[in-house]
Amino acid sequence: MATRSQDTTRARVGEGQGREESGDGGVLGPQAKRAALAGVGLALLVRGVRRRSLRGIGTALAGGWLLTRAIRSGNGKREARGGAGRRGSSAGSAAVSRTISVGKSADELYEAWRDPETFARVMSHVADVTPSANDRHHWTVHTPYGRAVSWETRIVEDDPGQIVRWATPGDAVVSHEGAVRFREAAGGRGTEMTLTVSFDPPGGALGDAVLKRLGMAPEMLVGQALARFKSLVESGEIPTLEGNPSARGEGDLL
Amino acid sequence: MRALTWHGEQDVRVEDVPRPQIVNPTDAIIEVTATAICGSDLHLYHGRVPSMQEGDVLGHEPMGEVIEVGDEVETLEVGDRVVVPFTISCGSCWFCENDLYSLCDNSNPNAEIAREVMGHSPAGLFGYSHMLGGYAGGQAEYLRVPYADVGPIKIESDLSDEEVLFLSDIFPTGYMAAENADIEPADTVAVWGCGPVGQFAIQSAQMMGADRVIAIDRVPERLEMAREHGDAVPIDYSEEDVYHRLMELTANRGPDSCIDAVGTDAHGTGLVDATDRMKRSVKLEDDRPYVLREAIRCCRKGGTLSVPGVYVGRMDNFPFGPLMNKALTVKTGQTHVQRYLGPLLERIEEGEIDPSFVVTHEASLEDGPDLYRKFNDKEDDCIKVVLRP
Ligand SMILES: [Zn+2]
Ligand SMILES: [Zn+2]
Repeated sequence: MATRSQDTTRARVGEGQGREESGDGGVLGPQAKRAALAGVGLALLVRGVRRRSLRGIGTALAGGWLLTRAIRSGNGKREARGGAGRRGSSAGSAAVSRTISVGKSADELYEAWRDPETFARVMSHVADVTPSANDRHHWTVHTPYGRAVSWETRIVEDDPGQIVRWATPGDAVVSHEGAVRFREAAGGRGTEMTLTVSFDPPGGALGDAVLKRLGMAPEMLVGQALARFKSLVESGEIPTLEGNPSARGEGDLL
Repeated sequence: MRALTWHGEQDVRVEDVPRPQIVNPTDAIIEVTATAICGSDLHLYHGRVPSMQEGDVLGHEPMGEVIEVGDEVETLEVGDRVVVPFTISCGSCWFCENDLYSLCDNSNPNAEIAREVMGHSPAGLFGYSHMLGGYAGGQAEYLRVPYADVGPIKIESDLSDEEVLFLSDIFPTGYMAAENADIEPADTVAVWGCGPVGQFAIQSAQMMGADRVIAIDRVPERLEMAREHGDAVPIDYSEEDVYHRLMELTANRGPDSCIDAVGTDAHGTGLVDATDRMKRSVKLEDDRPYVLREAIRCCRKGGTLSVPGVYVGRMDNFPFGPLMNKALTVKTGQTHVQRYLGPLLERIEEGEIDPSFVVTHEASLEDGPDLYRKFNDKEDDCIKVVLRP
């Protein structure tokens, strides 16, 4: 529980620019941002449901969560936040945080996390992530109708073996920030690693009821990202049901 | 390929499903030559295990020939003959490094679901529900084996399939159950359930130097097998009161160790059992703890309760007070199969034990659904089924 007492620190804002690719480009107003956010939520929801997988369920729940946030922010409701593992990082946002132990040194984990290919694989259940120049990452989530919502994050804090933190610029479509921290575990049990992520609807607040109903979803995404990273660095691969045979066909189906 | 698939309560089919492929670099594909139906498959057959989905490929006791390996597989080659443990383990996490293979941190792709339900996720298993990995099972023509350098054991002697197949689960499971029973030389060990795991627990308890092993069941053939192969004292619970008989045999001390090799589908007698059945039928209770209750009642003060039997959820009327006041030690868990493969293969090769004694039925994969039914109904003296895809 010690890890949860660590505050989710509000990331400093970078200079990248979020945009909706198939939209009319440029900087979006709050209305458009909300629509885009709902688009991301809907995309995740549909993708999750269509995949009918457990991973899909997580995706669907996350999608529902984002969608609900978008709708809530549209109603202008502001409610109290709370719940284990979540902390409001500033008005209108909530962060989820999870810690796991990994049997590698903090330096090894830091190196692996900074490897663009590893980062993309670890986040692939959330979005397609590609690196761009100057410590930036381009994130894309595809919507059901061939539309794609994308945004850019920039690494805003980078201390080898200690912390990596990234954030979107203030006017991005989806306000997203994240941080990973490494701390040596006692008794030679490797490193305790904490991942904190938040997705904020612009100008929105997260209802307590929503958190209670769908709140598992963002925690689950964070848990999955950590588990995927741990598996990759410890065993060299991520466990998968891809191509898994069943009488329903082939692949990551439930 | 052909495979046995799960479609709900008492509905197992043989169907065409896609052939598995290498996905990760440490995967291997084996062509299954022999595969068994396990007592724990009957928990699936009765729809007791949550997160099964229609069409799941069953089976977790396979062996066969390696026909393809991933780029990073180092210890196996095409053509190798292997037995595959039912536990899928990465070999590199803290748990695997501490020989706790069934608690592997990395092998369950659905770990978040297991975590929600249990607090932490154990290892992925073959053919045993999505919460425990969702991996297609080995009652099929072909099987994808992840972490192929960690699980499968090569068979290089000319032992028959039946002699080595049970290294995949029931022999190590019975052995670990006896190990967990902390047996000392003068000890009396009571084993509830004389299915295959019970049989191996009985024989393993004898190997570990138990003074006397008592076998409890109600199926005459199983009790006879325990007496003949395991030199056990039989108790037929449908004819005798188990507590009184055990007290009689131990001068009221009670058995030093009690092994529950039955698990969640225990049959009981009387009103309490009827209540459990009723609650379970309306999903108020997941597990029927008849054997556990009886074992706690019978066990010697300060004795050990070892539970290899599979439980799936919650139970009521668990006598925790007696357990506490009698200072019993409880040990349980899915088997850390990889820990036992080498040593137990050695015992088989040296002729100390021939595990094929449990086999009562051999058939083709096509006959699988019928044999599930036979095994479930204990028809035709059915104790252990081996299928040949
Ligand atoms: Zn089994
Ligand atoms: Zn492991």
